[in-house]
Amino acid sequence: MSVILAKNLTKIYQETAVPVKALNNLSLEVTEGEFTAVVGPSGCGKTTLLNVLGGLDSPTEGTVELAGTDITQMKESKLIDFRLRNIGFVFQAYNLIPVLTTLENIEFIMLLQKVDKATRNKRSLELMREMGIEDKASKRPSQLSGGQQQRVAVARALASKPKFILADEPTANLDSVSTANLLDIMAKLNREEKATFVFSTHDQRVIDKARRVVTLEDGAIVSDEIRQ
Amino acid sequence: MMLIKIAWKNIWRSKGRSLVVIGSIVVGVWALIFGTGFMNGFIVNYMAEIINNDISHVQVHHPEFKKDLEVKYSINDGRLKAEKIRSWEGVEGATTRTIVSGMISSAQKASGIQIRGIDLENESVVTGLDEMIGEGSYFEGIKRNPIVIGDNLAETLKVGVRSKVVLTFNDGNGQITAGAFRVAGILNTSSVNISERYAFVLQEDINRLVGLGDQVHEIAILLDQQQEEAQIISRYQSEFNGDLAETWREIAPELNLLQEMYGSMLYVLMGIILTALIFGIVNTMLMAVLERFKELGMLMAVGMNRIRVYFMIIFETLFLGIAGAPLGLLFGWMTIKYYETYGVDLSSYSEGLEAVGYSSILYPYLEGNTYIIVTIGVLFTALIAALYPAWKAVKLKPVEALHKI
Repeated sequence: MSVILAKNLTKIYQETAVPVKALNNLSLEVTEGEFTAVVGPSGCGKTTLLNVLGGLDSPTEGTVELAGTDITQMKESKLIDFRLRNIGFVFQAYNLIPVLTTLENIEFIMLLQKVDKATRNKRSLELMREMGIEDKASKRPSQLSGGQQQRVAVARALASKPKFILADEPTANLDSVSTANLLDIMAKLNREEKATFVFSTHDQRVIDKARRVVTLEDGAIVSDEIRQ
Repeated sequence: MMLIKIAWKNIWRSKGRSLVVIGSIVVGVWALIFGTGFMNGFIVNYMAEIINNDISHVQVHHPEFKKDLEVKYSINDGRLKAEKIRSWEGVEGATTRTIVSGMISSAQKASGIQIRGIDLENESVVTGLDEMIGEGSYFEGIKRNPIVIGDNLAETLKVGVRSKVVLTFNDGNGQITAGAFRVAGILNTSSVNISERYAFVLQEDINRLVGLGDQVHEIAILLDQQQEEAQIISRYQSEFNGDLAETWREIAPELNLLQEMYGSMLYVLMGIILTALIFGIVNTMLMAVLERFKELGMLMAVGMNRIRVYFMIIFETLFLGIAGAPLGLLFGWMTIKYYETYGVDLSSYSEGLEAVGYSSILYPYLEGNTYIIVTIGVLFTALIAALYPAWKAVKLKPVEALHKI
């Protein structure tokens, strides 16, 4: 079953003096449980593609169906709610809420979804254990290393069991040990929780772990490799 | 609850900046409380002094008397009426006066004045004239024609206690009459009228000289604080028809104007101080929003809707007000309480103040509901100040905010 179905996506940025075509008639289908890496050189449109797939940006042309719902014509307020209930985001710079603890950051999305306290606690503890950060529950982001912060960000993204997770260069700011740990955790969650991951990356270690590698060039897919 | 928790924590992210804003709110609220109390004190003290020492709450005259202060227009059975009024509920005191315009002369100078023939005992109750004696005594020690005058008038005439002065005036028949008086006491007061425009003599002395018998020109009535003047006027008119009874508002319309100013003083000061505060709060909150653009973008990206973001900023601003206002109110209250007891010493300005009828010791005055009004005002200000930063926050596009450095 496809969780992402993008058809003929074109994105042209008009804000610059010379319009830039970031996506060029791109189509992509991602099915449930995939562990997909979107790769390519800088400026090839990876981040734009993830933004459009996540409903953060709208395409100039084409449609995006997420879990069977066309989000391209959706109003902003509905789109925010749709993102809340269906998509998990992991950002390159972690983007945790600095005034909240690890536990509160992980619970944050569930709080927005009005999940009851007992369920929130149970799920957060479960994820912290899986991420190996259960002893950091009361720490603030500033008290954690980069790798620990990114694990909190992944746990936050997974907490509400979204249909899929979009991760934009999740390992870009991590050292090799933290990267390896994070990839192991993501791969494990993909296997055990059937979490669908789509991430953009330059990192060969991430690419090596991916089961599907989509390569972009000038806003178009130039190769789509599925590995066993 | 989550929004409130995050908002509260957010204001402490930049402690120094938040403390500066909270400090400015504390100082602003303190200044508002003390400034209003100080200004109200000026007005209330001034009004109380004029009402309690000079004009009283209600005055009764012959309907024609106030036009030219002609001696012939006296109140029929004035003394009898005053005696009855003194027994009315809500009346603290009532006294009668004979009022004659005239001239006072000493060996060196002369001055135009109003001669007031008073009922010693009741005048003390109504105006406390006896307590204003600075030199000499309250009509004691002078056997024949004692007179009491204010310090400014004494200085003008260059006279002292036991000096001789001559009063010249028209009698009841319009004939010029004169009488020799001797100064029994000199009044020390901030009231301009009492200090330089009135001369007080015994009612029987002046009545004898003008040929008024036991008639009087004025009944001055002092009321209890809670007593409505209108009720006393209405009762007077129903019991003693034909005289002109007026409240202090009609006798001295400038005091009425002052009382209206008293009501609006708080709002004028509040408008000035809180407007200044708005700019400080807007500046701080705008900085807080701009430096958190990326974070706010992330919040919206992961599903926090714009209404929640908007209210988070509103709560943050309100918390700055909530943190600052109670301290400012407390300091303001403490300052007012201290000066209510000890007074603000303005003696270095006393000459100028007393020239316009103000006392040199000022007691601030503030009604209890002022604290509530100020609290509401500060919270309302915080709310107004939050609107622009909150609007700025919700207008951002998550995708742009996330890519800001």
